[in-house]
Amino acid sequence: MNGAEETTEWRSAMIDVSELSLAELVEAARDTPAADTALGHCLRRLTGELDHPGEPIAGFNSAL
Amino acid sequence: MRPHRLTDAALTELGAGRPSPETLAELRRSQLSRHLLLLREIAAITGPGPFRALTEAERADPAATRRWIARPLVGVWATRCLTALRGGASPEDVGLDYLAQPTDHEQTVLRAEHDGLAVAVPLEDKDPLRAGLGLPPAPPLGAAATRRWQEAFTEAWRLLVTLARPDAEALTGILTCIVPVLPDPAARGISATSADAFGAVAISEPADADALAAGLLHETQHSLLNAVLYLFDMLEHPAERGWSPWRDDPRPASGILHGAYAYLTVTRFRRAQLRWGGDPLAAFEFARWRSAVAVAAAGLHDLTPAGARFVGALLDEVRPWLDEPVDPAIRRLAEGANTDHLLRWQLRNRTVAPADAAALAEAWRSGAQPPPVRSRLVPAPRRALEASARLDLAHRLLRHETVDGASGDGAYVLGDERAALRAYREMADFCGLALVTGLTAAPELAAATHTALAGEADPLELLRWLA
Repeated sequence: MNGAEETTEWRSAMIDVSELSLAELVEAARDTPAADTALGHCLRRLTGELDHPGEPIAGFNSAL
Repeated sequence: MRPHRLTDAALTELGAGRPSPETLAELRRSQLSRHLLLLREIAAITGPGPFRALTEAERADPAATRRWIARPLVGVWATRCLTALRGGASPEDVGLDYLAQPTDHEQTVLRAEHDGLAVAVPLEDKDPLRAGLGLPPAPPLGAAATRRWQEAFTEAWRLLVTLARPDAEALTGILTCIVPVLPDPAARGISATSADAFGAVAISEPADADALAAGLLHETQHSLLNAVLYLFDMLEHPAERGWSPWRDDPRPASGILHGAYAYLTVTRFRRAQLRWGGDPLAAFEFARWRSAVAVAAAGLHDLTPAGARFVGALLDEVRPWLDEPVDPAIRRLAEGANTDHLLRWQLRNRTVAPADAAALAEAWRSGAQPPPVRSRLVPAPRRALEASARLDLAHRLLRHETVDGASGDGAYVLGDERAALRAYREMADFCGLALVTGLTAAPELAAATHTALAGEADPLELLRWLA
């Protein structure tokens, strides 16, 4: 899932779509990406986190 | 399409809590990707219809629409919406009209500038989605409350820029929204961060500028770690629960990592305060949290390769602070507070089976050695902030307020350990006894045995027997 392809760089499973327009993404949503593609893997990780949400990190006593 | 990536140097700088502006920009891009992918997955279920207004707005003003999509509360909405749709909710019931008006409502903006470093952060007190950060939001602020927030923010910014400028610079690259929340009766000041809302901090009205500065440092670290965790897993078993030095309830390993990371920058801030003016409270906080962060981070196990790199850098940052001099009286209180917390945590969260308690009592009565009994962790029903009368008294002493030495806790805090021992023995306060004597017996075992013996055993002798 994660790992260092080489010692100087850590490559995430999460795909960079920040340069794509929303219109492109919505259009592309008509097609389901194959499970073994990078996008398919990325979307599985994204939705997997929805199925196992962490609790909000709450409770810092900021005032002494 | 390329994956998001970080150089090894960027990951280790993040672990040390010292991200560069370029790294922060990459993390912000990754969070924009997250929001866009959530919207894509919503569209995969609903079809493109609900997105028409948003895509038209994007054609008209791409930059403004992109800024709207990147807002932390859009992350909250998109996460909720997609979760509901995947759970079988009808598109008519998931609030898709939120996408029809992608504009910001009018907001108060907190602004501050000190020594050439400026910051401007919207104060979000109206959007109903602000409740999604995990704490009950305060109602919309009136003029007087807004003025108090601005005054505290101005002074907090002065403190941050003066004492922790690199952290203040990083904060300008992370913090995009402050949500005022209701105070918690159990806490002096409370704050929260959601993994769905990068850059948003929910925080109760600060007691003073110092509390706001510490709260903002603490919470933006959570946001930063959430963004890193979006990219890389750090723990093989993030849900495994155990002791953390800052909460009275058992915490998952992911929460312990979060706490260590958040307290790292708060500890750095207290260190700077101590060096700046020698404030006793800052010295206490520095001495307490440097140890707590180091112990908690070192106790994390089953780290992924990225987690090992990140936590290693965190430890490299905090460990040199352990050798720095702190006034011995303050150090005693700080180290005592950490020991006390662990003892109280054990007593609160670990239980002894009745048969085991009976076996211990029987061994005591017969003069035998204690049998090899172990307590077990019980899940806590709800969040438990740290609450300790001894800690409150230590804070009073450090604020130069009167502490009554007649009670066991008062005597302990004032350093009269003989008087404290007498009082704790009389009260059968096993945490206090272990704290004063340094005996390493588990307080929950001592308390369970004492109860099984109907109080007939001397608490101090019982503790010695178990140690």
